[in-house]
Parts: sequence; structure tokens; C-alpha cells
Amino acid sequence: MTTDLSDYVSSRVAVLDGVRRMLRDAMKLRIEPESIDPDVPLFGTGLGMDSVDAVELVVQLDAVFGLTLAGSPWVSAKLRTVNTIVDAIMELGDEP
Amino acid sequence: MSESPHITGWGVASALGVGRDRFCAALLRGESGIATVRRFDTSPFTTHVGAMVAGYESDDRDPALLSHEFGMLALCDALAHARLELEALRSMRAALTLGASLFGDHTTERLAHNLAKELRISGPAITVSTACTSSTQAIGFGADLIREGFADVVLAGGIDVLTPALFAGFHALGVLSKRPCTPFGRQMGTTLGEGAGFVVIERGGLRDAVTHARLRGYGLSGDAYHETSPEPRGRGVAAAIRGALDDAGASEAEIGYFNAHGTGTVANDTAEWCAVQSVFGSDLGGSLPLSSSKGHLGHAQSAAGVLEVISTLECMRAGLAPTTAGFEEARPGGPPRPVGSKQPKPLVYELALSSNSAFGGSNCALVFGKAKPATASNGDRRRVFVSGAAALCAGVSCIEELASIYAAESPPSEGDLQVDLAAELPRVDLRGIDRASELLTTVVSRALADAGVQLKGKTRARTGLIAGVLRASPDSLYRFHTSLERRGLAKPDTTAFAQVLPSAAQGACAKALNIRGPQSTVTIGEGSGLMAAVMSAWMLAHRRDSDHMIAAAVDVRSERSPEGALADAACALVLCTEPTAVEVAGIGLAGPEQLDEAIAEARRRCGSSEPVELFVERRNPFGGMPATSSSFALAHALGALRRGKAKSAIVASTGTTASVAMILTSTEVAHDD
Amino acid sequence: MSLEDEYRSVRHGAALSRMDHVGIVRVSGGDATEAVDAICSGDLWVRDGRMLQTLILGEQGQPVADVYVCPDDDACILMFEGITTEALSACLAQYADPELAIELEDLRPAYELISVNGPYAWEALSKWLTPDVIGLPYLSFYHFDRGTCFRGGKTGEYGYDLAIRSDQVGRAWEALLEHVSALGGGEVSLETLDLCALENGFFSVRHASAEGLTPLELQLQWRVSARKSFPGATAIEERRAKGMARRLTHFVAREGVKTGDPIRDADGPVGQVTAAAFSPGIGGVAGMALLDLSVAHPGIDAFFVPTPNADRPIRTVSSPLLFNRSLLIDPHQHTYATRDQTSDPPLWLGSLP
Repeated sequence: MTTDLSDYVSSRVAVLDGVRRMLRDAMKLRIEPESIDPDVPLFGTGLGMDSVDAVELVVQLDAVFGLTLAGSPWVSAKLRTVNTIVDAIMELGDEP
Repeated sequence: MSESPHITGWGVASALGVGRDRFCAALLRGESGIATVRRFDTSPFTTHVGAMVAGYESDDRDPALLSHEFGMLALCDALAHARLELEALRSMRAALTLGASLFGDHTTERLAHNLAKELRISGPAITVSTACTSSTQAIGFGADLIREGFADVVLAGGIDVLTPALFAGFHALGVLSKRPCTPFGRQMGTTLGEGAGFVVIERGGLRDAVTHARLRGYGLSGDAYHETSPEPRGRGVAAAIRGALDDAGASEAEIGYFNAHGTGTVANDTAEWCAVQSVFGSDLGGSLPLSSSKGHLGHAQSAAGVLEVISTLECMRAGLAPTTAGFEEARPGGPPRPVGSKQPKPLVYELALSSNSAFGGSNCALVFGKAKPATASNGDRRRVFVSGAAALCAGVSCIEELASIYAAESPPSEGDLQVDLAAELPRVDLRGIDRASELLTTVVSRALADAGVQLKGKTRARTGLIAGVLRASPDSLYRFHTSLERRGLAKPDTTAFAQVLPSAAQGACAKALNIRGPQSTVTIGEGSGLMAAVMSAWMLAHRRDSDHMIAAAVDVRSERSPEGALADAACALVLCTEPTAVEVAGIGLAGPEQLDEAIAEARRRCGSSEPVELFVERRNPFGGMPATSSSFALAHALGALRRGKAKSAIVASTGTTASVAMILTSTEVAHDD
Repeated sequence: MSLEDEYRSVRHGAALSRMDHVGIVRVSGGDATEAVDAICSGDLWVRDGRMLQTLILGEQGQPVADVYVCPDDDACILMFEGITTEALSACLAQYADPELAIELEDLRPAYELISVNGPYAWEALSKWLTPDVIGLPYLSFYHFDRGTCFRGGKTGEYGYDLAIRSDQVGRAWEALLEHVSALGGGEVSLETLDLCALENGFFSVRHASAEGLTPLELQLQWRVSARKSFPGATAIEERRAKGMARRLTHFVAREGVKTGDPIRDADGPVGQVTAAAFSPGIGGVAGMALLDLSVAHPGIDAFFVPTPNADRPIRTVSSPLLFNRSLLIDPHQHTYATRDQTSDPPLWLGSLP
């Protein structure tokens, strides 16, 4: 594995683990972080969160990761699976 | 069963005006009381409208004070309308049933206590806290007090005050409309309101009073679906409507007007319309005049039901159909032709139905009007039995353990109460469940097991739950209020907000266990668990929509509030109509300083001249568990009767707003040794 | 219709399909829930009127059936792919307590299953059924006079599976076809539905080609209970203890990548393609691959599929791949006739390697 790739993977895993812990602690999902698959759907099926949870999730993403989604267009595209959240948080780091 | 109670007056303090003259004039002109909120800063929010009580738009005093003031205004207005002088009221067997859901650090029964004291009503005052169905239920239970002969006149209604915290919670859930709400219209979302309303209901023939309408019946149900969303096909709403029609002895075709809950939210209005179609059929449902009063009054929460009943009564008197203020064009999926004229249009009807739904899946419907029932209602009373119980606090995990505690008069052991609900209920989603919900669900599940009731199939819709609860779970209250402090009004913790009402635990328990029959959350302060048992017994005795009623109570230790419970405790009894070894033989109910009267009443109704063998002290030894202690006493009495230690037992308790007594007797035939 | 037209039906209009590959049974009797719970891997958090997605696993922990459990009063309706009704019945006989009072009724041939999928599927349903169907939440169902309407679907769009009485299904099909045609759609094959499922990251038990995969590798842990015992539970426990070596990861490629292809990086093999198909929405290949756990993450450009002529680069991506139109459509506000796609973002927000 190249250094670039291994750097990328370890930074991604760090964000992924952070999101998983946030889901357990702040969203009270009663699930161990390692049991949360990266591509698991957040709402309806998968983790089974609902519209009430969605509001709190947006607040938590802002508070914990500085990811501000409230009011931005296409929020629904970023809140689909754990991986789409991780993507959005990692894009923050890419911005100047 | 006695005849339907008479409605002889009503009074309001609302956004359409204080006092029924102003209210009625504004209502008949088709006005809306919704305006820009001035009481508090709405700049953190994306919507700024609300329906504040006229004249109180900028009054930002303590909500408890405002509640009391709104309540007194409406009560005095109602008494004047009923031509009932305060002196005359005091000489009557009068009671108060109040719908109120003050959330925060106040215990809810305090409001009823203060109102009863100010009016000097000596009889019982019962507070119903089921959010948006609170006052609807309070009217139904008021009718029960009269039908059961515990009062001759009842002031029944509800009060609510719009606070920044409440606004913040609803705002965060995304259910508030930008402009004044237009139920069933193209704009989605609701507008919050406030106010107070009371109806005077009484036994007929008592005095020279004008009967404006009869309160024919009510129905209750639970969705067992979600904390804040209604069951999408309206099954729960339909069950409450059917229950009300049955209680009223009325057919669908007799209903001439339907006052819908109609909040304006997508979820509510669609579910409610599904319910109307399923009860009335698509033909009858499509032609039934239907409207929502929330365009006039906003969503007045705990006062919504009574204000809507009063709107309907005023219009019914005037030969008009209440209209849906602000309605222009029907939205897809809702009623295609709700009454939506600018002003109420002529309509003659003798019987109306008003429906409300609430967080926690609570539904309540009322049937009232000038029409008398075609046939005598309901017929015989049913006997009520106790089939099981469970008790839970530190040191107590089953009702048998209560005996030694009562014998020694020593409090149960210190320490924390541990439960593993996940292990007990493997097929239940316990995510986000708060402490009160966890304890109540555990104890109710164990009581059902003790009673041998399996909640499957049809049993679920015919099993109900009434919980005695003084306040919401302190952990949820704390989470919600700290989120407001730390994150601001725009970002409250929505998952906690869904659980800050006293009825949250009852709703969560019903959802976890799939209980869909009649349900409520009530309080009288100390003794609330016993009150829940009394009301559960009435449900079974005079109604036909349940076979089992669970009477439960829960307390959660609150370190942050001086008024809260001192320990975690929960208790549940299962009542039924199928004969068991123990029968509910007598019930007594009286005012807060009248415990002896309540006991005497229970003995009188018991009809037996034999002395009661076991008298269970009301508080001792379970101090600091205000809701649960009297339920423990009942469970202990049940245990003693089952074990043959006594043939009869009386449990009595006096609380902040009522005294209650219940006699249990053994049904086993005595054998001579 | 051409595959491209079919695709457009599902992604931009409304598509009508036969669901002959799905079994449907009704398990009734007082213990129906307990019996179904005994064979399914997921926590059966039961609420009437809701549907729950779960699995039936083999003894090695491999998924053998993809199941919707639909609790319905005294009974449970099961809709399933991957096994026959006979096999399901045998599974109940093998794993559910024989003392349990249950009856299994195959709802075929009395009923047939058809489905409507697409961002305007609800509009077809509201015209054919009743307008209030638009209030039906995802994974809920209800009965109507001619059958049962399940809101599910595996395309990422609004989706409804309809179990319709066989004597009514002919007329229903004709009427629905007329409705979907008016909504820019038509009849759509299983092949297109499968492509859409792949693009949206839905598990397909009919395409789980690699051997020895458990819900751990398939990213389906959410369908596996940590609280109960079920067929395959031991194998899952063992796999967990040992640690999984690979995980299913989504990818895109420009062209020429197909199911079974090996995937490498500069140093050597890292995995294998388990499913791949050309996606009109992406304008390239959408696929799934089993990758070594250490690199089973989206956002990696370092891998390729070697071919004799040239290495074909792939890019790993997050699931779901598409920004479904359905996410932008509110049945209470929008209609097909008044749609305005000019401000819509593209279906695919990413880029190809």
C-alpha cells in the first residue's frame, strides 16, 4: 500500500469511528460502534432512525464535527448512510 | 347507568377573546386569533406566528401564573353561562377535571389544586396529562364522575400556555407553518396556541338549568406507534371514534358534524382522514361536514379539545357548521371538501363528534349534542376483578415481597433499582427509552405475565392502560432543558422533547407492549396510582371497548427538583371483567381533605355489612414515591387476599387534589375448618 | 421498451413490474410472531402495519433469503426472495418450536405481486387506489378491497409492492400501466430493477455470488440480532471472533468491468468484483466488490481491474451511488405534470476514474 493510500485510509477510519461513536452516544442507538457498517442506511431501514432523530443528528454533526447541514441544499444526499456522512465530513477538511 | 350528563354552560379564555361573548362573536365572523408572537423573541425561529390569549399577547409572567389566570377566567365565565353562583356550587357535590400538561419542574396537579381551592370546590379534582388530548379526556372523565354518581356537577376542561420552550420543541420537529395554519389546505404545518376552556356538565334535574346539549359519550385509544407521529392509517383515531359512538349509543349516520383534530401537519391530517373514511365509509365520510378549529385558535395543546368542543357547541346553537379558517384549496391525500367557507355556513345537526390526537399516540373522541339516544345506553354494569400485579423498587421485585415490608413497617432497602428490560423483552425496540418508560414498561409487562394475559392479536386493542404519573421522567426533562440552555432555542434535543410530557412513559409503554385500548395519564398527587386503578375499574364497568385495563404508576427519583420523587418505583395491576379470585367491590372518591368520606363511600358501595379485614395504610412505608405508594398498597392487598390472609381489604390514600378508597374482596367461597 | 427507457421509467417517472421472483406467505395463529422470530436473523421489533427487513441465514451464516416481515394482527405476512415457499416452510419446521400454534398459507396463486417504482410511483397509486396512499410511510402496508399495498421497493425511489387478488390482477395491471405511461413510464423488467438496486446499494440475495459470505462482509449487521439465537448465529459469532477479512464495497468504473473480475493495486490483488453493470445514470459501470478489509473504504482511486490490453481503473464510492429524484419530491406538493427538472442536481454527483 502506498503512503498516500494508507494515510487516506487511516484518516477515513478515524472519521468513521468518530461518527460511529457519536451515533451510539448522542443518538442512543444501543449498538456497539463496530457493529455499525459503513454503508448502513440511517433512516427507515438500516439503523432505523426517524425524522425526530434526523433533527438531533444534524445538531450533533455540527457540534461534534463542525458539519453544518441546516439550511444547505441537498442535505438529504448527505444523510443517507454512515459513509455519506463520512464523505461530507472529509470534504470539510479538503476546503481551504 | 344514569342518563347522559347535561352540558349547561361553558367559558373560554382564548385567542378569539376572553369570555364567550367575544369568543362567539369572533368565531361566527370567521376571524382568526393567530398573529405575530410578541410574548417572547421568535428570532431564533423560522416562523413567528402563534395564537395567544387576547389581552395577554405580551404577558410574559411565569406560565404557572398565566395558567391559573386563564383557568379562572374560563371557569368563572362557564359558571356565569350555566347560571351557577359560587355559593350554589359550593353546596353541590362538585368536582374538577382538568387537562393540563405543564412541562418543566412543576408537578401538574398543583394547578388543579389551586383552582379548586380558589373556587372552594370541596370535591375531587383530577388532572389528565395526555398532551393534546388532555382536555378532551378531562371532559370524558367528567362525564364518568357524574355517571358513576361521584359528583353532581363537574367543571371539565383544560389549560395551556405557549412558552418559548414549547415553541422551540415544535419548531425543531419541523411541524410549524410559516403563515397561520390552514388545516387540510395546501400549506403544511400547524400554528401553536394557548388558552383555557371549561364546560359545566351536570346531572339532569338538579336545579333549574338550561341544557344546551348532552355529553353522550367518549372514546379513548392508543396508537402504540410513535412518540410524535400518528399511526399513518389512522387506526388509533378510528378506534377512539368507534369507542365514542358506542359509548354514546349513536350510529355513524347520526353524526351531523365532525370537528377534526386537523392540526395542519401532513402526518396528522392524512391519518385523520383515513380514520374518518374507515369509520364512516368513503360515501358517508365524503359527505360528512368536517372542519378544524385550529385556523381560528391555533393548536392550544391541553386546551385544544375543550376549545373545539365549545366552538362546536356555539355553532350548533346558532345552526352553523364551524369553518376551517384560512382554508382555500384542498391538499392531496386529505379530505377533498372540508368546511372551508370564510364564515360558518348554515347547517342543522343534533349530534357532533370532536376528535383529538396527541404525542405518545393518545386519541380521544367525544360525541355530544341535543339528540337523545334512541335506545338506553350500554345496559348493565360489569363486575370488575383483579387478575395480576407487579411491583418494582429497590429491594422489591414481586408483590409477595411487599408483605414483609408492610408487616415490619420498614422502608424497602436503600440502593439503586436495576432492571434489564432488553433481556425481559427481546422483541422490543428500546432505543431512546427514558427511565420512567423503562420502569413502567417493565412493571406492566410483569403484571400482564402475572395475570396470564398475552398481548397478541385482538387482545391488544381490548387492553387499556391508565398510568398515575406526576411528572415526566427527570432524565428527559433534564436533557431537554439543558439542550435549550446550551444549544439555544433553535436547537433543542428533539428526542428528549418527545418525552417531556407526563404521558410520555404511558405512551412508550403502550408502544413497547402494543397496548392499543383506552389509555390515559392522570394525577391527583399522592395516591395517583390508586386513582388510575379507580378509573380503570370504571372503564371496564361501564364501557364495552376493553377486557383488560392496566392500572399503573411510576415515580423516578429526581435529584434536581425539590418536588420530585425520592426513589425509583413502579407498580401495575391488571383489572379485568373475567372473574378471578379478587374483586373490586367498592370505590370511594372525595375531596383532598375527605379521606374518611372516601372510605365511607367505598364501604357504602361495597354493600357488605361485614367489617373489612385488612386496612392498608396509605403512605407508610413507601414515602417519597407519591404516584406509586398507593399502587403498592393495592398490590399488597391483592397478595394478601390471594394468599387467604384476609377476605377483604381496603386501600385508601389522600392526595393533593382528591382522596380515594378501593375495597377488594376475595371471591373464593369460604370453607369452614 | 429498451433498457434505457426502462431505466428512465424507474429513475424519472413510474415503472410497473411483475414480481414473480418474490414469494409471499401468511403465517397465522397465536404464535406466528414467535415462529417467524425463530427463523429470522434480525431483531423482530414488531408493530402492526410496519414492515421489517431481515434475513434467513444458512448454518454457515450465509444469507439464503431476503425477507420482509409484515406483522398483521394475528398473523405475519412474509415477502421473500432467494428461497421457495417449500424451503421456507421447511425452515419453519426445522427451527421453530413445534409446540407453537401456527399455520402457513401460500398467498399464491390466490394473489399476485406487482410493483410500481419511481419518483412518481405514488402518483400512479393515488390515482389507481385512493389519494391518501401518499401518506403511507416507507416500510408500511395496509389492506384495501382488492389486496394489500406494501410501501417498500429496492430502487431508492418511491416503491410499492401490491399483492392483488388474482381475479383482479388483469384489470389492475391494465389500469396501472395506463397510469404509469401517463407519468413517463411503462413496464420494466427485473433486470432493470436489479440494476437500480445495485446503484442504490440494496442487497440482492439472488446476486450474492461469492461463497462464504456472511452479513458481516455484506454490511448487513443491522439485520443480525445481538440479543437472540437464530439459524447461523454460531457461524456469525465465530466469524466475528476470528475477524472478517473482506468487506463489500461499492465502486464505479468507465467501462469493461464485469462480475468476477479480479481487482488489484500496484502491489497485488486486493479483491474481486461481485456484481457490475452499466449504469445510464452514472454513464459508466456501477459495481460491488469484495475488498480486503484494510482498504474496503470509499474514495480510493488506487485499484484497477487488469485486462490483457489495459488496466481498467476503478474508484470506490459510498452507497447509495445516486441522488435519487424521489428525495426531492414531496407527494403533497409536487406532481409529474408540473415537474421542473431544471434546478435538479444530476443523478450522479461523483466523477468517474
